[in-house]
Amino acid sequence: MQISFKYSSVVFAAVLGLAIVAGPQRGMAQRFSHGGGGGGNRPAPAARPAAAAPRQEARSAPAARPAPEARTVPEARPTINGGSRNNGNHDFNRPVNVRPAANVRANINVRDNVNVYHTGAYRGIHPYYYHPYRPYYWGPHWHPLGFFLASLAADATWFNFNNQRYYYDDGCYYLPNNGGYSVVPPPVGAVVPSLPDGYETTMVGNDTYYYFGGAFYISTGQGYQVVVAPPGAVITELPTGAVDQQVNGEDILVYNNTYYQPITQDGQDAYEVVPGPGQ
Amino acid sequence: MNKKIFFLLLFGVVASVQLRAQKAQAVQARRIDTVAVAILDKMSAMIGDLGSCSVTVKSNYDVTSKELGLIKHSDEEHLYLHGPDKLLLKSEGDRGGRDLYFDGKTLSYYSLDRNQYGQIEAPASLVEMIDTVSRRYGIEFPAADFLYPTFVDDILADSKELVYLGLTTIDGKECYHIAGMGTDKSFQFWVSDDAFTLPIKMVIVYTTKPMNPQYEAVLSDWQVNPTLPDAMFDFSIPLKAKKVKLVPLTAKN
Repeated sequence: MQISFKYSSVVFAAVLGLAIVAGPQRGMAQRFSHGGGGGGNRPAPAARPAAAAPRQEARSAPAARPAPEARTVPEARPTINGGSRNNGNHDFNRPVNVRPAANVRANINVRDNVNVYHTGAYRGIHPYYYHPYRPYYWGPHWHPLGFFLASLAADATWFNFNNQRYYYDDGCYYLPNNGGYSVVPPPVGAVVPSLPDGYETTMVGNDTYYYFGGAFYISTGQGYQVVVAPPGAVITELPTGAVDQQVNGEDILVYNNTYYQPITQDGQDAYEVVPGPGQ
Repeated sequence: MNKKIFFLLLFGVVASVQLRAQKAQAVQARRIDTVAVAILDKMSAMIGDLGSCSVTVKSNYDVTSKELGLIKHSDEEHLYLHGPDKLLLKSEGDRGGRDLYFDGKTLSYYSLDRNQYGQIEAPASLVEMIDTVSRRYGIEFPAADFLYPTFVDDILADSKELVYLGLTTIDGKECYHIAGMGTDKSFQFWVSDDAFTLPIKMVIVYTTKPMNPQYEAVLSDWQVNPTLPDAMFDFSIPLKAKKVKLVPLTAKN
């Protein structure tokens, strides 16, 4: 009797162990390997996710307050895991040894700027990340909107578009004005033969756009065509003349009727084109 | 003889060049979006600061059947954690009703359906206990990966790709959507876009296993730093419950 009881206990134990482990196949790894991954070399500082930065507002000086009473600091409360050990100490450049491509199935095929979610006005693909607006100048031959020149450079070109003669030089578009020439917004649809050095390339979905001096272009057989700024496009510099607008507590920059949301990408300050109101 | 040596040397050089080429192919460049990393960092920091928490985890997971393909199973689990060393897990679903209690020294497993229980000594801290018990006994805790203090570094160590896809809504809650590709799995995380930045959903697809089984977990009803009495983590042996021995995983497993 005793022997059979011992035997049945062993069987129960084995069954319980198997039930925990095997059925239904919970034993297959649902978790990530945790080798205690080291931090490695400290790279560029990690970007901050969306959090409205405190705005600088004019305030009157607060009334003088009595000095706070000294108080004892409470003992540190034990946490559920001893505290995160990841913060900002990541080695992004370390390559990963992978199996040959045939054994890897890419379930997702995205680009950084894919607008997977049409999130509506003032919400870009990237989280809002405030950084100060610092106007950018694209060299000595580039001028901001409204700039007046008495004469153009010798290598400036011209073209007719929408019954107007435009002049083009180093990414700037001019119309005759008051005996000279003024910089005007690039006419959407116009085609120029080339872009100056220093243009940016940005992807929105599968489409390639080019950006220079506040204007967006696509490549055509004849050159580069001016297009409306595509929502989701990410660029790194804005020209002088952008206006700061507060929208839902966020600073959105508006330049030439295009709305730019400050973001960060790969540790760099950048801007994302977002839909304007009513778009 | 000289010819033999020459050809041997030539063969060695050719073989060496081929090996290097294969190694170069194997080590591929990575695409890591720092926005995704920053979101996961913030989530991990938030979890690391919790003194206690509770969450409901509803999981679905595939089991491979040769005859029928992928069979989906599901569980609903309520997890309670109190730092540094207390855990209560109450689970219902396809694996039956189960409770797990950890009081800092002993992990107690109780099967409600069989009225049986087993107990093992375990390391004092929650993460060490979870890790040790998982390795030795195959006992998994729902969405436990998020609890590891090195979660983000561990993800990065295995990821060829990690990208931030944008904002979406899960059960009415706006979330950051992150996707990644590791050496043997692809994964997606949804992290709440609110003051707490907590994990809301996780999907894993095992890309190297036949039929690519999936695991999905939805985390809801998060309670941050609730007051959890110590008594709720103490296991009291139910009436007429039988004690059994928890069996460690064997080498074959």
